[in-house]
Amino acid sequence: MASLITCPHCGVRPKEEFSIRGDAVPVRPAPNAGAEAWYAYVYVRDNPKGRIQEYWHHAAGCRRWLVVERDNVTHEVFSVRDAADVARSGSGEAA
Amino acid sequence: MVSHRLAAGGLVNRGNALSFTFDGKTYRGLQGDTLASALLANGELLVGRSFKYHRPRGIVTAGSAEPNALVTVGTGARSEPNTRATVAELYDGLSAASQNRWPSLAFDIGAVNSLLSPFLSAGFYYKTFMWPASFWEKVYEPLIRRAAGLGRLVTEADPDRYEKAWAHCDLLVIGSGPAGLMAALAAGRAGARVILADEGFRLGGSLLSESSAVGGLPAAEFAGQMLAELATLPNVTLMPRTTVFGWYDDMVFGAVEKVQKHVALPTPDLPVERLWRIAAKRAILASGAEERPLVFGGNDRPGVMTAGAARTYLNRYGVAIGQRVAIFTNGGSGYALARDLAASGVEVTALIDARKESGDAVPDGVRLIRGGAVTSTRGTRALKGIIADRSGFEEDLACDALAMSGGWSPVVHLMCQRGAKPVWSDERQAFLAPDVGAAFVAAGSAAGLDRLSACLRDGADKATVLARDLGFAAYEAEIPDVAGDYDPDFAPLWYVPGSKGKAFVDFQNDVTVADLGLSQREAYSHVEMTKRYTTGGMATDQGKLGNVNTIGIVAGMRGVSPAEIGTTTFRPFYTPVSFGAMAGTARGEHSRPVRRSPLHGWAARNGAIFVEAGPWYRSSWFPREGEKTWREAVDREVRTVRASAGLCDVSTLGKIEIFGPGAAEFLNRVYSNAFLKLPVGKARYGLMLREDGIVYDDGTTSRLSENHYVLTTTTAYATEVMAHLEFAAQALWPHLDVRFASSSDQWAQMSLAGPKARIILQRVVEDDLSDAAFPFLSARTVLLKGGLAARLFRISFSGELAYELAVPAGYGEAVADAIMEAGYEEGICAYGVEALNVLRIEKGHVTHNELDGRTTADDVGLGRMMAMQKPDFIGKHLATRFGLTAADRLQMVGLKPVEADAEIKAGAHLLKENAKPSMVNDQGFVSSACYSPTLNSFIALAMLKSGRERYGEKIVVWDALRTSEVLAEVCPPVFVDPDNKNLHV
Amino acid sequence: MCEVTLPMTLSFAHRHVLEDHIVGFETRPNPHHLAVVRRPTILCVLAHAGFEGGVKAALHALEGVCVRICGPAEWLVVSHSVGPEALLRLVREIEGVSAFDHSDGRVLMRIAGPNVRSILAKCLAVDLHRDSFAPGASANILIAHVAGNLARIGEDAFEIIVPRSYAGTVFEEVKEMGREFALTAGFSED
Repeated sequence: MASLITCPHCGVRPKEEFSIRGDAVPVRPAPNAGAEAWYAYVYVRDNPKGRIQEYWHHAAGCRRWLVVERDNVTHEVFSVRDAADVARSGSGEAA
Repeated sequence: MVSHRLAAGGLVNRGNALSFTFDGKTYRGLQGDTLASALLANGELLVGRSFKYHRPRGIVTAGSAEPNALVTVGTGARSEPNTRATVAELYDGLSAASQNRWPSLAFDIGAVNSLLSPFLSAGFYYKTFMWPASFWEKVYEPLIRRAAGLGRLVTEADPDRYEKAWAHCDLLVIGSGPAGLMAALAAGRAGARVILADEGFRLGGSLLSESSAVGGLPAAEFAGQMLAELATLPNVTLMPRTTVFGWYDDMVFGAVEKVQKHVALPTPDLPVERLWRIAAKRAILASGAEERPLVFGGNDRPGVMTAGAARTYLNRYGVAIGQRVAIFTNGGSGYALARDLAASGVEVTALIDARKESGDAVPDGVRLIRGGAVTSTRGTRALKGIIADRSGFEEDLACDALAMSGGWSPVVHLMCQRGAKPVWSDERQAFLAPDVGAAFVAAGSAAGLDRLSACLRDGADKATVLARDLGFAAYEAEIPDVAGDYDPDFAPLWYVPGSKGKAFVDFQNDVTVADLGLSQREAYSHVEMTKRYTTGGMATDQGKLGNVNTIGIVAGMRGVSPAEIGTTTFRPFYTPVSFGAMAGTARGEHSRPVRRSPLHGWAARNGAIFVEAGPWYRSSWFPREGEKTWREAVDREVRTVRASAGLCDVSTLGKIEIFGPGAAEFLNRVYSNAFLKLPVGKARYGLMLREDGIVYDDGTTSRLSENHYVLTTTTAYATEVMAHLEFAAQALWPHLDVRFASSSDQWAQMSLAGPKARIILQRVVEDDLSDAAFPFLSARTVLLKGGLAARLFRISFSGELAYELAVPAGYGEAVADAIMEAGYEEGICAYGVEALNVLRIEKGHVTHNELDGRTTADDVGLGRMMAMQKPDFIGKHLATRFGLTAADRLQMVGLKPVEADAEIKAGAHLLKENAKPSMVNDQGFVSSACYSPTLNSFIALAMLKSGRERYGEKIVVWDALRTSEVLAEVCPPVFVDPDNKNLHV
Repeated sequence: MCEVTLPMTLSFAHRHVLEDHIVGFETRPNPHHLAVVRRPTILCVLAHAGFEGGVKAALHALEGVCVRICGPAEWLVVSHSVGPEALLRLVREIEGVSAFDHSDGRVLMRIAGPNVRSILAKCLAVDLHRDSFAPGASANILIAHVAGNLARIGEDAFEIIVPRSYAGTVFEEVKEMGREFALTAGFSED
């Protein structure tokens, strides 16, 4: 029926404005990382219950990709960050 | 029938009589009545038949938990089945009909089920309708559905309007009784934005039924005074007729407002119902408590109702539920009713208290039977008397109404809809609201309080805490005195031992104590199993009245506390919500947003037949006079393009403007082919892959200036590709200096294709379009004659000499008209997506028919576009794995039927000659097929195992769904101009 | 870094996408009114990394324009007095900017009236109380199921900018939601 996400750029918005891409934890490997790393990045996913990080796209708002950390049981949202900020701060960015 | 309306009293407008019908008979009620109170005032006790046994049933409650008084309100397309008469606001001209009876309510043939009742016990359906399986669908289910009676749906379209809206507040107060009113006032005065919602058409909740004086005023007047003040506060919104039905994530509440359900003919300028999503920072549940029926033999006889309901009919509607009323109670509630009845001059036959002792005051002249119980009732279509038992002595008491009170259960549904379970309290003998955090709290009797004075204080206190929590200055509410406050405390009595006849727990689904016993004996003892085995709590009332009694009785049978039994799962909706309200305006043309091309008007003027493509309406073909079939039009359009020229609307392609010094590198990474060296003024076909190596989308990208590109996508993937590029730029490579935004809507884009395209276009375009000046794959801004700037791309999907011209959207129609005029002598025609499809199949160009999420670049013959020398691009790293490079992969080929007039259809499968159709023998499938007027034959593109090695082979095109089998020859997928001579003329 | 757009010509008639939707002359507010502006200038402006603050300040310093926020480092610059070519020239002088004309790609409507927030509450989910969306505020937002831009241009007045292809849908939907308040609609005079 409804749920709300607080976009760091646009404020509180309904879920209808977003689309979800899935797990935000895997980091795109370096080009020469090898088959195993690429296989894991593209295909291997845990299916955890509880606190997860997901990519949400604010498609009908600022059009930014966000990393939403939330509980997939209670839908409690812990943080919403811009994906570019997360990528810049992360260690795994492929140059 | 005797009128049960008292001479005075109640909150009904005696000066405004309303006329209504029930089962065709005309009655009078008063403004302020519900349908139920008006029926009772007219002495109509029998209002329905029960679901399974077709037993006569009367009104049991005065609120939304009503299990029996379900009627169909309205006529024709406005008929609404299963309306609870107890909450249906009476209006002049209301037409109601009873349900689940044939041929009439008084004489119902289905009542014979009652005689069969020994065979209709719990689990009956499961045991009887088990075998054979095929009988279920064909025999049993239709039979059950016909016999099981709820109201009938009308099949006519709903003539009324519905809306959906959002509301936002600091505090949502659910329920406008004593706790809710005080809460709203406390928070409202403190300055918080408050919404006070109540399902009733008159706000005030239980205060409207109360005979006590509050703050020196009759309770209803006190409520009126509070509401008058609330109405003056600009930060308070009062929402009567609004049921908060659900609590969702992030403190969003769902509510439905009945805007025009109380008028005979709704105005079309307002919706009949409005679905609200209320985003609240805090909320108070002040939904009150539900009185539990007592469970004894014949407790479903018309004339038996809860004491609280009897009190509401008396005090709020001025209606006595009978001439001689007996009361059966296990607590103070029965006494309060006795006092009110006596004060109104209604005869109280006896007050039977199951408790041996109590301090409750008995009014003068009322006979009290302490430690007594009702074991059975008399009467068929109306109550005639009861059998009261005290210490084994039975007494037959004549009465025409029996009020019962089995104690109170807080209405905690909303707080339990997100997983938390209610908590059993031995002290209160009730399930109380769970702790769901500080943002949403229960107040008043919903929080388990009983006295009116306590409820008033609790509402004010809790709202004050929440308002302070939100930063509003604390407001000390003065709590009014209550004169005549009473204690509705009760002692548990789950069912009456020694009951004779059926003792119902769930009235609507006809579940008895015996059924509960059977479910325990047959091991369906878990409360969720008991529910499903007996169907208790599964009716439209979702067990609001009966579930707690079910739990209490099962606990008693098993010798444990109700805490151990627990409750079944609470889910939205609290009360039924119409599909109309859920849909809102999303009906018919408003079902989803529609996108219109800027050339829509041009296409329409040229006679286009439109086809839905996602949100778009695209022109599919342009029939001319004399053309009888779509094929004739499409064949002509294709021939015209190949021979002369045609104009096609391609505005729906996605267009993205890409800027920045990092743009070239960015494109080089999102496309599989090389993009670093694309010269300014040139377009290039690009192929995008998914990270798993499969083709994602294709299109052309043009470099308009050093750091400015325009990328095009297919129509179908425009939205997805935009999001994909944004993901790449933001989440994968945020350090690249590239910015982009969609410009899809800015441009009307048209494809002018055919050998005469240049001659025609040159008449409209100022710039030199000769092959030398504007060769194949040129892309730049040109001026149209008169000075309008436009983007021109020399690209071709048809394989002919072709241009795509983009002009600002508002000029699209005028420019398209001008081109049609310029090409008149050459016989130019408008062509649609069907002809476009034929042209591209003839040329062997792929669409998402071939790029179907399973194919690699090599599969569709575009292996040369994999620039593996690039260090990185999306899809590179998994593209070389074994599965994607295996020799027997399906590869795109052309198919030509051996007999030219044999039709090949897309979706057909391919088999070797003489091979049996089987998964093992499957050689591939047809992805695209058409009739080629250029080749005068059906042709197709197909995905065939190792296809490129099999040119010349004969293959069977097998289509069992459409029963055709065609022998075809495998050929290269390019049917016209394989050397691309036409592109470079 | 962008192609040159030359002056419009009169030889091709310009047609507003809502001309099929607006019939009659309901231009006088009733008092609730939906006004469609015929030819506003609307540019899409993007700031490159490191230039966000400077671009924002420079846009706000431009005369005769309103700046609408789309998201981080992205704006719509709207003008009713400066044409697209002239405005593009001005905007492109700002350091670290990319911009393109989107005047034909967007439709601009203004909705006003004492109950305008009640009408918009049926079209969008965001709280329009002045504490959270004050006059002057703007944002990209889902309006009538379509991704658009909303700006508050007065206590009881809002501006809606939506993609041209969706304008018919949004216009009809807003009108439908305004029936309760007898919303009138028409092309605006300016």
